[in-house]
Amino acid sequence: MSEISKLTELRKLLLDMERSMGLQDLSTVERDIYYAASDHTTSAGAVKTTLLQEHALLENVSRPTFFRALKSLQGKGYLEQCKNSVRGYYIVKVPAR
Amino acid sequence: MTPARTVAGLNLGKETAIVSLAYLGAFFATFEVLMPLQNILVPAFDNRASLLFLPHGVRVLAAWLLGPRSVVALLPGVVLGFVYAAGWGAFEPSRLSAMAVAVTVPATCFFLLRLLGQDLRPAPDRRPCWPCIMGIGLVISMISSVLTNYAFGSAPQDYIAYLIGDMLGLFFLMLILMLIFRGLRHSRASGN
Repeated sequence: MSEISKLTELRKLLLDMERSMGLQDLSTVERDIYYAASDHTTSAGAVKTTLLQEHALLENVSRPTFFRALKSLQGKGYLEQCKNSVRGYYIVKVPAR
Repeated sequence: MTPARTVAGLNLGKETAIVSLAYLGAFFATFEVLMPLQNILVPAFDNRASLLFLPHGVRVLAAWLLGPRSVVALLPGVVLGFVYAAGWGAFEPSRLSAMAVAVTVPATCFFLLRLLGQDLRPAPDRRPCWPCIMGIGLVISMISSVLTNYAFGSAPQDYIAYLIGDMLGLFFLMLILMLIFRGLRHSRASGN
């Protein structure tokens, strides 16, 4: 496991703790999409939608639910669509509160 | 030495430096800040054990993230901590046993849990579970407390004090890290 991925895993653990304490406003599916996006962006920068859908955490999530959660994450500022590339690529963002 | 082994060795060196520094940071925060506060706030608790032992949190998280490599990564920090607290007495058999317990029990517990079918190791397709980390932290603390206090010949109340200190230390370390990460996220967001 690389240095960055160890830090990502620690961050995911602490995000889980935040959510349990009611300090985070993500639903279960939104959280899993955010985890999946975080996993992929450590290696590739932006992440493709199809890659997210193929992630193990999201294999039981229906397409409508997935895209609703993806849109919600964009609205909350956790993900942003790549502007300078083909549609379907997203960047993990830090939400402003 | 092949390049791959050189890289692996460098990575282990980096991990050891980070983990041991984190352990020492937690150790000094506990003994130089928290314990004096404890002695003021809880003077009736006549015990050398800390009721908020942050280094236990570093041990558990290091073992979770690094697995068996945490034994090497923790060793310098644990040894230096004992030397700071006990001077040359740190190399008495009872304290050497305590050091061995401190560095080996966390990784061993995670390994045994995996053998029992509960793999808590971080993985891209696995959701992290912080209550599970608290749970295994409790098991690690119980085993460490029994072995360490047996080596020291401690009184029964010391076993309980170690347990309380370890569990509160793990929880509060995770809470502190959570707040730090939140603070960093928000400051980066407002700077965008």
